[in-house]
Formats: sequence, C-alpha cells, structure tokens
Amino acid sequence: MKLPVEGWPEAAGQGRVGVVRRVVLLALRDLRLEVRDRAGLLSILAFFAVMLFIMALALGPEEAPLRRAAPGVLWVALAFGSTLLSTRAFALEVEEGTLDDLLLAPGGKEWIYFGKLLFQMLLLLPLAVLALLMAAGLFYLPLERLFPLFLTLVLGVLGYASVATFYAGLLARLRGREVLLPLLLFSLVVPVVLASVRATTGLAEGLPVAEISDWWQLLLVFDMVYLTASALLFPVVMEG
Amino acid sequence: MLLRLQGISKRFGRDWVVRDLSFTLERGEVVALLGPNGSGKTTLLRLMAGLLKPTRGQVERAGRALFLPNPPAFHRHLTAREHLLYDLAFHHQGKEPEEALDRFGLPGDLPLYAFSSGMKKRLALARLTLLFPDIWLLDEPETALDKGGRELLLSTLAEARKKAGVVLATHDRTLAERVADRTLELGVA
Repeated sequence: MKLPVEGWPEAAGQGRVGVVRRVVLLALRDLRLEVRDRAGLLSILAFFAVMLFIMALALGPEEAPLRRAAPGVLWVALAFGSTLLSTRAFALEVEEGTLDDLLLAPGGKEWIYFGKLLFQMLLLLPLAVLALLMAAGLFYLPLERLFPLFLTLVLGVLGYASVATFYAGLLARLRGREVLLPLLLFSLVVPVVLASVRATTGLAEGLPVAEISDWWQLLLVFDMVYLTASALLFPVVMEG
Repeated sequence: MLLRLQGISKRFGRDWVVRDLSFTLERGEVVALLGPNGSGKTTLLRLMAGLLKPTRGQVERAGRALFLPNPPAFHRHLTAREHLLYDLAFHHQGKEPEEALDRFGLPGDLPLYAFSSGMKKRLALARLTLLFPDIWLLDEPETALDKGGRELLLSTLAEARKKAGVVLATHDRTLAERVADRTLELGVA
C-alpha cells in the first residue's frame, strides 16, 4: 500500500514539510476511515436531505418565501452538519482509544488540530456544494454567481469548522460532549453564520460584489482570528 | 537517567490513586510494576508517558516515550500495514513495516476488525519495535498472547533493553521475575 503523500521529502522530516505532510496524512487517514465506516457520512447526507426537504415543504410552494428563506436554511443545515462532523472527527479517536497515540507523536500538538480541520474541510466542502445544489432545486436559490457563492461557502465553512474542531478536541474526553458542543459553539460562531447568510442573501438578490465584499472581509477576519486562537490554544487544552 | 518521577501524586475527584511516589528509570533497565487491580499501575504509566498531569510532583523525561495500553488501541477499519505506515509517518520515521509484520506473524492486508486480541497485541509490539521509543511503557503486555506471542514479547523486551528503558505493568510474577531488573510493588491507596 502506498500512502497518498509518499515520496514527499522524508529528509525534511521534522521541518515545515514534515508538519504539512503529517497534517495532510492525518486528514486523508480520517477521510479513509469515514468512507469505510460510512455511518457518519450517510447520517450527515440524510440530515441535509431531510432538513432541506421539510423546510421546503413548510415554507412552500410559493417561490418568493422559499427564495427569501434559502440562505438562512442553507447555513443552518451547514452549521448543524459541521457540528455533527466535528464531533465525529475526535469521536473516531476516542471510541478506538487512539487519541493517546497522536498526542505522543513528536513535535507539538498543533498538527493534530490542523489535520482534523483539513479532514472536516475536505468532507464538508463537497457536502456544502451538494447542499447548495439541493437548496437551488428546492428553494429557487439562483446559481448564476457560482464562484462568489463558492467563495462564501469556503469562508463560512472554514470559520465554523475552525471553532468546531477546537471545541470537539476540548470536549473529546468528556461524557455528554454531544450536548456541550453545540451550546459552546453556537454562541461563538453567530457572527460567522450571520455574515455567511448576509453574503449569500446579497448574491441571491443580485447585489453588486462591492457591497457583498464587506461580508467576505468580515468572514476573513473571523476565520483568521478563530484559526490563530484555536491553533494556539489547542495544545494547552489537550494536556492530560 | 531516562525518566524521573519526583514526589508524584494523582487524584481523581476525591480518590488518591498514586501518592507521593518517586522513581527513576535508566537506559538498559526493565522495571516491573506489580499490584492488585486499582492500585494505580495504569495511571502511573500514563503519568510517565505525559498523558496525565500529576496533581503534585514532577515528571522529567530525557527521551521519547510511548505507551502500550491494554487492550491496544487501533482503528478497526484500517489494515495492519496501513496502520503501521500511518504511525511511522506521524512519528517522522521512513521505515517499511513488512519485516515487522513478518516477524510478528501478522497478515498485512486484513482489516483490524478481523484481528483477534492476541493478534492486536502482536501488532502493538510490532509497532513499538518499528517506532522504537527511548521509554517503553507497557500495560499488561502479556495478556491475550499465546506461547509464540509470549516468545515474541520476551525477544522484543530483550531488544528494547539494549537501547531503551522499559516499565511494564503486569499481574504475571513469573514474567516480572524473568525480565525485570527490579520490581515496584503498588498497593491500593
């Protein structure tokens, strides 16, 4: 068996290339586990489908209310989906007892955070695109401005997942983590969800990019702050 | 000195599991931890590894420590070869797992959910020989092993003794007397 990033400079070992290699490998390993297990992936897909379908039934069939609600419904679905996924990212390790192995690997603990975050992004972005297509079909969400919509998805999902991954790691070894995670998480990520909804609404209403870019800048600032703070605090909270 | 514990105590809630314990481990030394269930053997190993913080006291390590839990922890949807390859990559080691898989008599391409407890224990030992830490912390390494597995454990410990230090928690006094340079008897705190 060849690892996906085999052939990367091994000699670079513990340098920056070594850290990036470990981050990518951890994300790809988790992706492999998730695909083989299937249960988590299927439950998130089912959640997206059921939630969007029920909301469409509840708000429809007129086009105007559906179109107005589309950005909000889309981002609520993505927020809950990301929460489910972040719990799984560490549940995989806790259920099998393998978190200790990762913590005892040499060279800090930040790479575990970035590996788990990359895993979430690799899984969540295709799911977000799928949710966007479902929202387009069920809620008349226009897809003419696909690139700006995708940019909003990336910025919003990154901001949400960066905090969700941090809290999932913090709570990984606690009982009742599934209850605590949303409580802690939602209070902190409200600005990200609001900015994402406003940017998506602006794109759906055909506002010029100049007006929407304020929301993108806000999202970018939140992403940077959350990423930096989470990466700095993660090794501290993973101490025994 | 590879490992030094100075006045270590550990409390979970109101219960003291380890109280005021001091200990040193030298390179080339094998120390056996003995004691009844609940005497704090596993907690002590986890404190030594740095997986737990002591309530009081200090732990100093002059090398890389790895902890083998009982039962060993693996992702059941990976094969043995995949698991070892990922472990090697996470530990920055560019070795090949084939030799270790052969030596420990393990099928490389079988998912770990199909492994017996003894096979998982063999895989855990194979993992340790590949990663070869300075400090080996083994929690009941003999359980679930058959006669052949036990021989492999003894040869692995002999190999580890040459370059590293080993602390093993066990209920098997025969094993402790055979492999350990000294024993540390723990009582229920």
